[in-house]
Amino acid sequence: MKNSNAIWLLPLLLPLLLPTLAQADAMSDAQDLIAQHRIIPDFVPQGEPFDARACMADKKVFSIPVTMTVPFAVALEDAMSRAAADVGFEYTVWETQGGMDSYIQGVDQAVTQGYDLIDLAGGLNPEVIGPQLMQAKDAGAMITTTHLYDETQEQADFVDASAKVPFSSVGKVLAAWAYVQTEGAPNVLIIGSDDVLPSLPFVESIQTQLTEYCPDCAQQYLNVPLAEWGTRIQSGVQSALLANPDINYIIPIYDSMTQFVTPALRIAGADVPMASFNGTPFVLDMVREGTVEMDIGESLGWAGYAAVDAQMRVLCGLPVPEDLGVPLVIFDKSNVETTGIPANFDDGYGDAHIAGFRALWMLE
Amino acid sequence: MTAQTTHPPMARTPRAWKKDIERFALLGAWAVLIAIFAVAVPDTFLTWRTFSSMFGSQAVLVVLALAVLVPLTAGDFDLSAANVLVFSAMLIAVTNVQLGLPIGLSIVLAIGIGALIGAVNAFFILFFRIHSLIITLGVGTFLQGLTLWMSQSRTISGISMDLVEVVVIQRLFGIPLAFYYGLALALIMWWVLEYTIAGRKLLFVGRGREVARLNGVKVDRVRVMSLVTSSTLAAIAGVLYAGMTGSADPNSGSGLLLPAFAAAFLGATTLYPGRFNPLGTLLSVYFLITGITGLTMLGADAFVQSLFYGGALVVAVSLSQLVRGRQPQSFG
Repeated sequence: MKNSNAIWLLPLLLPLLLPTLAQADAMSDAQDLIAQHRIIPDFVPQGEPFDARACMADKKVFSIPVTMTVPFAVALEDAMSRAAADVGFEYTVWETQGGMDSYIQGVDQAVTQGYDLIDLAGGLNPEVIGPQLMQAKDAGAMITTTHLYDETQEQADFVDASAKVPFSSVGKVLAAWAYVQTEGAPNVLIIGSDDVLPSLPFVESIQTQLTEYCPDCAQQYLNVPLAEWGTRIQSGVQSALLANPDINYIIPIYDSMTQFVTPALRIAGADVPMASFNGTPFVLDMVREGTVEMDIGESLGWAGYAAVDAQMRVLCGLPVPEDLGVPLVIFDKSNVETTGIPANFDDGYGDAHIAGFRALWMLE
Repeated sequence: MTAQTTHPPMARTPRAWKKDIERFALLGAWAVLIAIFAVAVPDTFLTWRTFSSMFGSQAVLVVLALAVLVPLTAGDFDLSAANVLVFSAMLIAVTNVQLGLPIGLSIVLAIGIGALIGAVNAFFILFFRIHSLIITLGVGTFLQGLTLWMSQSRTISGISMDLVEVVVIQRLFGIPLAFYYGLALALIMWWVLEYTIAGRKLLFVGRGREVARLNGVKVDRVRVMSLVTSSTLAAIAGVLYAGMTGSADPNSGSGLLLPAFAAAFLGATTLYPGRFNPLGTLLSVYFLITGITGLTMLGADAFVQSLFYGGALVVAVSLSQLVRGRQPQSFG
């Protein structure tokens, strides 16, 4: 009799238990997602193998970075140059300090010297030099972008292929991290820059994932244009913390923002942890020192090889894989020392990609 | 026989009232702004924590604005000031973090080189008789290149916590010490400009170089000193910048140049209208950050802050001109 009584009670208790069960599910989902990014995955080929050396024998690529004054772009270009040297084709990097005039000059140079492909790397939006790129296309050059679009974004019409970045996936991991670290009760301040092309889907994925985990939890978004990071992030974070002292996690979506969040926390006397994305060496150093709790990094060496893979597939008339398979790795106090002391762009991710791509390109 | 003149009892003329209104208009506007936000966000805005946070966060801008104010007073522009700030912060990072020099030595080195940059500016401006805008623009760009080269375009973190402690962590009345450094510098500059011969000469040179020269003022020497002071103060702003963030970034500090000039120009509409003055500049910086803080608390978009910043500057300077009967401006 006792057992049957308990079964009768179940429908009554279910509405009370459901939220707790849902929370337990969300917590285990979030923990699973984090666990997937704690390990360095093996290289998984994203396309069919092809004889890169034979196909690229008479081809040359011209790469225009957003600026060579940013270490991230330099590291990305270095990796792409290394990959091209490995295959053995001509790869030229336009040493620009940024600026429309310099980009236009770069495109002209590429067309005049008969390059087969013009790549825009590190966040340079092809729309800003659309007319020049279309002229280059008319002259026979292919156009690609590297590390600009989010995986969910469509590329410009005149672009032949893009090595996209999984910003939306990163957003989900950041949301999972904040959810787990706040024990299922996140009250998050997200800092983004709407003027940077992939920011919108990036921020949206954080917001959506947080809402999925915890529909009633609070979140706030602070938009600071790129050019004003140095002057507006600090005051914006201070004001947000003063207006809402319950904020318990901060997610600056690009990790170089963290240097301006730190003084805001000190001045406001707040001890709020933060997590971010990019794996920029000085931020990884800050993770080691304890100023930043977590930083998601991607191997720029891997990203560079993957971008060259996409460029070669365009030139060889092969389909370009949607997902480039560049792994995202979580760095916190427990593993940040694998990135070097001081940290650098390439360590901490292993080097499985080099052998993997060489095999994919039939170099071995 | 001596003629005696009798003066009527001192009565304030409408002109004097107008002058007083102009002097304290920005102070009044600041009070109104505080009142508006106090009503709009009552629980959070009107707290000591909000004000200590606003006061503590603007020291770098205050010192940089004071730096550009000195040559402005003498009729020169120093467009290299923000680059000196960034260079100085980066020099501290490189010498302290990478070369392992004690933080005190790094700071002395940064300030010393700051002064030297001012002397270089002055040499080219005065020896070759070139406008200060051109030379300081060139020297600033050159410094930007040096900073990128020195840092290999990287942000360098890990600057000694001793500096961070005395800039932003240690507090007096709940406000980080950085605020008091800015305040002290503003008071010292106000005293120098108002009560010392050097200060009066600076004002005199700014009003009219030829007249000053004919009156025996060594104009070139005054201009050299103003440019050296400007770069030295900009280097001190760089020290505070490094102490605020505990790191040095080769790019972002240069974004402070326009806000610094905006604060100097806005400051010239208040307390001593028509004259660049340190206390007015201090007041402007805090007027502007009050607006930004309140707007952010209200959840205003980023563009609203720019509208406020730019709008406040144009409206304040225009109103000040209206009160002055639209006289041609002669800042200095």
